Amino acid sequence: MCGIAGVMYRGSDKDFDTGEALIRMLDGCQHRGPDSTGFALYAPEASGRLKLRFFIDPESDADDSAAIAAIRQRLMDLGAGIEEEARAGDNYRVTILYDGDVQKLSYEMEHAAKVISIGTSLEIVKDVGSAHDVDDRYHVNQFHGTHGLGHVRLATESDVKPEASHPFWATGFADVAIVHNGQITNYWKMRRRLEQRGFEFTTDNDSELIAVYLADKLAQGIKLQDALSTSIDDLDGTFSFLVSTGDEIGYAKDRLAAKPMIMYEDDDLVAIASEEVSLNRLFPGKALNTREPAPGTYATWSRSI
Amino acid sequence: MVSIDLAELSVREANAQLRTLGEAGEVVEILNPDARHHIGVGLTAPINVNVQGSAGYFCAGLTDQACFYVSHNVGWGVGDNMYSGSVVVGGNAGAIPGVAIRGAEIVIKGNMGSRAGQVMKAGTLCCAGNANFMAGYMMYGGRIIILGDSGERVGEDMSSGEIFVAGNVQDLGSDAMLTDVDSKEIQSVHEFLDRYGIKAPKGFSKIVNAGKKLRYGTPETPMRSIPFNTFSGDSAYWNPKVQEDITVKAQSGRYRIRGYGGARPLPHLSDIGFRKDLTQAGADRDVVSKVRMATEIGGINGARPLKLSMPVMIAPMSYGALSRSTKYAIAMGSAMSGIAENTGEGGMSDAQRDAAGQLIFQCLGGRLGWNIHDMRRADALEIYISQGAKPGLGGQLMAKKVTPELAEIRGIPSGIDLRSPSRHPDILGADDLVIKVEEFREATGYEVPVSVKLGAGRIRDDIKIASKDGFDFVELDGMQGSTGAGSAEVIDNVGIPTLPAIIEAIEALEEIDARDKIQLVLMGGLRDGVDAVKALCLGADAVAFGTSVIVAGGCISCMQCHIGQCVTGIATQDPEHEKRYQPEVEASNIHRFLESVRWQIAAITQALGYDDVTGLNRDDLVALTPEAADITGLPYEPSMAAASREPMGALS
Repeated sequence: MCGIAGVMYRGSDKDFDTGEALIRMLDGCQHRGPDSTGFALYAPEASGRLKLRFFIDPESDADDSAAIAAIRQRLMDLGAGIEEEARAGDNYRVTILYDGDVQKLSYEMEHAAKVISIGTSLEIVKDVGSAHDVDDRYHVNQFHGTHGLGHVRLATESDVKPEASHPFWATGFADVAIVHNGQITNYWKMRRRLEQRGFEFTTDNDSELIAVYLADKLAQGIKLQDALSTSIDDLDGTFSFLVSTGDEIGYAKDRLAAKPMIMYEDDDLVAIASEEVSLNRLFPGKALNTREPAPGTYATWSRSI
Repeated sequence: MVSIDLAELSVREANAQLRTLGEAGEVVEILNPDARHHIGVGLTAPINVNVQGSAGYFCAGLTDQACFYVSHNVGWGVGDNMYSGSVVVGGNAGAIPGVAIRGAEIVIKGNMGSRAGQVMKAGTLCCAGNANFMAGYMMYGGRIIILGDSGERVGEDMSSGEIFVAGNVQDLGSDAMLTDVDSKEIQSVHEFLDRYGIKAPKGFSKIVNAGKKLRYGTPETPMRSIPFNTFSGDSAYWNPKVQEDITVKAQSGRYRIRGYGGARPLPHLSDIGFRKDLTQAGADRDVVSKVRMATEIGGINGARPLKLSMPVMIAPMSYGALSRSTKYAIAMGSAMSGIAENTGEGGMSDAQRDAAGQLIFQCLGGRLGWNIHDMRRADALEIYISQGAKPGLGGQLMAKKVTPELAEIRGIPSGIDLRSPSRHPDILGADDLVIKVEEFREATGYEVPVSVKLGAGRIRDDIKIASKDGFDFVELDGMQGSTGAGSAEVIDNVGIPTLPAIIEAIEALEEIDARDKIQLVLMGGLRDGVDAVKALCLGADAVAFGTSVIVAGGCISCMQCHIGQCVTGIATQDPEHEKRYQPEVEASNIHRFLESVRWQIAAITQALGYDDVTGLNRDDLVALTPEAADITGLPYEPSMAAASREPMGALS
């Protein structure tokens, strides 16, 4: 039960205020989800580099340095070279040089620590509280980049804690993130199918399932829009979700249209949100020519177009 | 012309200004609306409002007489429940435009979202563009005009009213059919379009209810009814009730419907007892004046609370299932005892309003009888999500019970087979519910409490959502609650019993540290003051009685509530049957019953060692069965059964 938002700027520049844009959009629909807020932010790194973010639990990891030392050790064991590292709020952020298998790295790291995201351009920031609370803790407003997703959550079935917040990273796949409003009712059936093929899940959240489902298709060389198309048939329940990769953003909406979604597009950007009030936060005082995606539809936008 | 700039004012402040300006008959311009929700909600004056830009959810909702113009788009539920007046939208509308309108005119110049005109009662909804799926879903009356394409499943489960489509009729919904259009109707549509400056197309298809659903070929065989306590006692496997069911089903070929509560033995409040020996409780004849019982419900977020003389209220029961006289008697009886009455589904009658000291007004998915004027004269508002006896299901009132008077209050054509939907058009999740609660608060100036009625289901999740969505109190209803009509199988086999319901609710609120952020009223098969005290000990702030109040007021428990020919004049709309019911006499009976409840609450509270009901707590209780101990976590002390079974020796 939530509000979602996504923005992608057009053109070759990589320095847009994506953090600030998403903060505003989420503040506009915070009433849909007061419990936690999260952001998936994209800014491309040089090739061969990966950005990793981890939760460092202030309670169970009383000795921060031990937890971080364990992460460092595991990275070195896997042959990754640490380029930069920093503490940010309750996160540990590290940039590595790594040319091995990302899925292997992801699963190894998952077994050692709470991974939030891994990507060459993706970084996920999420925590309990409002968009402004999370911004205060993690300085989201200073993020510049190309595109991003955001989410406000009202917890209905799982706990209010940072790791149950959205966006969800597609565990094991670099740069794939999702924000979702709704409920997937064939969750366990779909999850078992993916687990039988060797994929791992770190939560029981249905949004992680959508992320892994789509990332798996992408890894097989299927186009994002085709993966979205099959998702509408394969997933049961009510859903409106946004997905992003290193250079694409897309949406899918179920046939019942139980969860709202509205979009705005111009020469400079495409923005999608649960409610028009979020879109208007990007354009105060302007009446927008918005469009409601039809039930059972999907679409994608690519940065290169 | 007056301008209100939403870049400077909140919507709440703007709406307060609009109400004042409305009385002065001003023309008002809203600047920088930026798609905010609830613009103009609750206006009941002939005012012209021009919104310069886009509006969000429920623009012009719960209004009467006002005329709105929105230059761009609107979100979900434009014109929600609007009586008279109009909304013209220059751009597109989101889902459920014109939901539950009762006479207004709503014109969308662009396209409109899904389920347009859901549960509308009267008035006209017109869309110059295309409609999305299920336009006219469950509409009860009025007219929808679509100049573009109809969308899928147009007219799904409509009961009455007409849908005119100029474009392509993509496909028809369940129980909808195409019919001939007569020239008078076309003329009327043209006049409407002229008035709003819309060019009329050449021709229209007309869609109406096909009348194929809700009609059963074989009625249930009338049988001599078996009293409830005959079949619910120590029933043998093949008891007379089982045999009767089989005989009736052999004729009708379907499930049976009945009224009243469940008969299946389930763990209940009678399976817990008190830690102290209460056989001498009530020896003090003056106990009522010595125990503080006055309870306020609904004021924790700043609204004006219900002031109850004891932690008891009347459970919601509809005018429709019950006769007007019965609702009137309950209202009188509740006022005599200083507690609150609840309208249930069927709307509010003047007699009931005047007789009840405090009245909760309930809003259900069909929005039957729901309107801004009665909201304004209610002491609390309540959103019904489900009920304990048949959680998740809707209802049906047979045409025979839909009399002209009842139809008028509910805002529907009389004599139709009335379906009550199982869900709300505009509450499809906790996120929508937040926006709905806010609409009610805007419409009533944040003055009255807003509650939610929950049939026990996934209580742990639901109660947390209720707390986060800002409700002032929850009415939690367990499986032992009764219904005016339900499938016999559902009544006995579906739901969560009242005892685990309250336990799980309290635990869930403690988990999120919200025990003091929402109040809890427990109902569902509570019979007397002894049950009430147990509920209060378990953590309820108050309890509600339904069935026991009806029984106090003359019900003979024959379970034929759904037939409509109640011999006591309670569950009927037939004037000949209703004549037998004497509201004044029954009001006194109900009042006396409620006073017996008061006496019991006071006597037990005192015997447990308190002079205030707020002192009651879990440590006062024990479990009398292993099941109850498991459910409640209370110590299992079967030896206390005798003392608890007859705790009121001195009162009998």
